[in-house]
Amino acid sequence: MLLFRSEDDVLAWCEQRHTTPGAVFEVTQLWRVAGVWYDDRLDSTWRRRTIPERQAILDSAGLTGPFWRLADS
Amino acid sequence: MGATQRDPIRDSEIRLWIYQHFVDTGWAPSPVEIAAYFRLTPGQVEHALHRLQEEADALVLLPGSSYIWMAEPFSAVPTSFLVRSSARQWWGNCIWDALAILALVGTDGSVSTACPNSGQPLVLSVTKRTLADAVGIVHFAVPARDWWRNIGFT
Repeated sequence: MLLFRSEDDVLAWCEQRHTTPGAVFEVTQLWRVAGVWYDDRLDSTWRRRTIPERQAILDSAGLTGPFWRLADS
Repeated sequence: MGATQRDPIRDSEIRLWIYQHFVDTGWAPSPVEIAAYFRLTPGQVEHALHRLQEEADALVLLPGSSYIWMAEPFSAVPTSFLVRSSARQWWGNCIWDALAILALVGTDGSVSTACPNSGQPLVLSVTKRTLADAVGIVHFAVPARDWWRNIGFT
C-alpha cells in the first residue's frame, strides 16, 4: 500500500513493472479507515477481528466491491 | 511453568507490553529484553512469540527467527514510511499503517514517504486527529482477500 503523487504516477509505475493497477483512492479516505482498523491494538483483551468485523470496517469507509472483499462468500 | 505449557494470559500480557514498547521507544524488544521484564527464560519467550504469531495472529516474526518484524501497524525494521511526533518516531509497514500509528498513539505528527514513481517527497500531517495535508493518491496493488498471503509484499 503505497502513496503516489498522482494517479498518472500510479499508472506509470504499474506500466514499468508490467502489473495491472489495483485500487486507488484519496488519502483522506485512508485516514478514516486506518485509524479504526487498528484502534483495539492497545487493549488488553485484544483478539484478531473476524472477517465479517473487518469487512464491516471497510464497508463503512466506502471500500466496497470485489477488490475489497476479504473472503469469497 | 514449563517452556511449552500454554499460558494465554501471559501471552496477552507479552503482546500488550510489546505494543507499549513500540509506542514508547519506536522499536521492538528482543526476546531477551522481554524475558528480563517478565522474569522468563528467553526460550519461554520465544515459544510465546511463536504462539502469538501462529495462533493469535498478533505478530509477524522475521522468517526463521524469534525476532519481531511487525506488530501491525508498527514495523521493527526501517521502511519507506517514517512517522514522527515530537521527539518520537516509528516505522509503518505501509502508508495505511503509518497513518494508523498516529491514530493509535493519539498524537499529532507526520508521515514522510516518497512517490515510488517520481521520487517526490510526500508528507502527510495530522493535527488534532485531523489529516491536515492530504497530498497524493493511495494505491493498493493486492486485493483484500490476498492481503495476508504475503504480508511483507502487501
